[in-house]
Amino acid sequence: MENEKTRPIPLKDDNYTHNINRSNERSLDRRSFMKTMVGAAGLFAASTLPWGALAAKELMSSSSKSYPTQKIANLSDIKPGDAIEFAYPGEHDSALFVYVKEKEYKAYQNACTHLRCPVFWDRDEKELLCPCHHGKFDIATGKPLAGPPRRPLPEIVLQEKDGAVYAVGVKSYEEQL
Amino acid sequence: MKSSYRGVILLALILFASIVCTQYTVNMYFAQRYMEVLLLSGATVVLFPLAWMVLRKDQRDRREQGK
Repeated sequence: MENEKTRPIPLKDDNYTHNINRSNERSLDRRSFMKTMVGAAGLFAASTLPWGALAAKELMSSSSKSYPTQKIANLSDIKPGDAIEFAYPGEHDSALFVYVKEKEYKAYQNACTHLRCPVFWDRDEKELLCPCHHGKFDIATGKPLAGPPRRPLPEIVLQEKDGAVYAVGVKSYEEQL
Repeated sequence: MKSSYRGVILLALILFASIVCTQYTVNMYFAQRYMEVLLLSGATVVLFPLAWMVLRKDQRDRREQGK
């Protein structure tokens, strides 16, 4: 009788249909684990490149950065407590103008700084509210009050002229802190 | 320390640094600190070949040890 140990193919595997030993087939050995870690490092490296490119673009264009002057509304057409949505500085940059009370108004870019959901004016609570994860922002400063956002909403610089309000610029992040 | 641990620990540290740098890259971009963004994304890019070298060295060492 043939010895099982000296047999080139073990008897249990010597068949045409069930000769693949599948146990441990998917287990992660040391080498695969290390390759996965290197791959992940590569993925992170690649993922930072677009941010680097955007930053370089900003650095190169920062000296010539200028904002358009855009009329938002006539103050006679709105009442205290009202909010108007508009686009500033680009046509895809959604913004929110809030007439908080007499002689006091504010405008912010209304993409929540958590996951960029649109932010709404909560007239009763006098807060800016992101309905996605209940992030709240202070209307006076744009700083986050509650919820997941950690950065303030970018504030839009306003100017009053001839009874109308104009948007003239966006405050940089450092100015708001 | 056994050489078999050295590579794994080094790679884990490099990967951790990659994660931290990536996170800071995004944060600094939104904080409009663009010079830091460039430095951090550069650091993340440099960490990848470093990880690759650690893997190659580890494989070479193990081959020499006959593992």
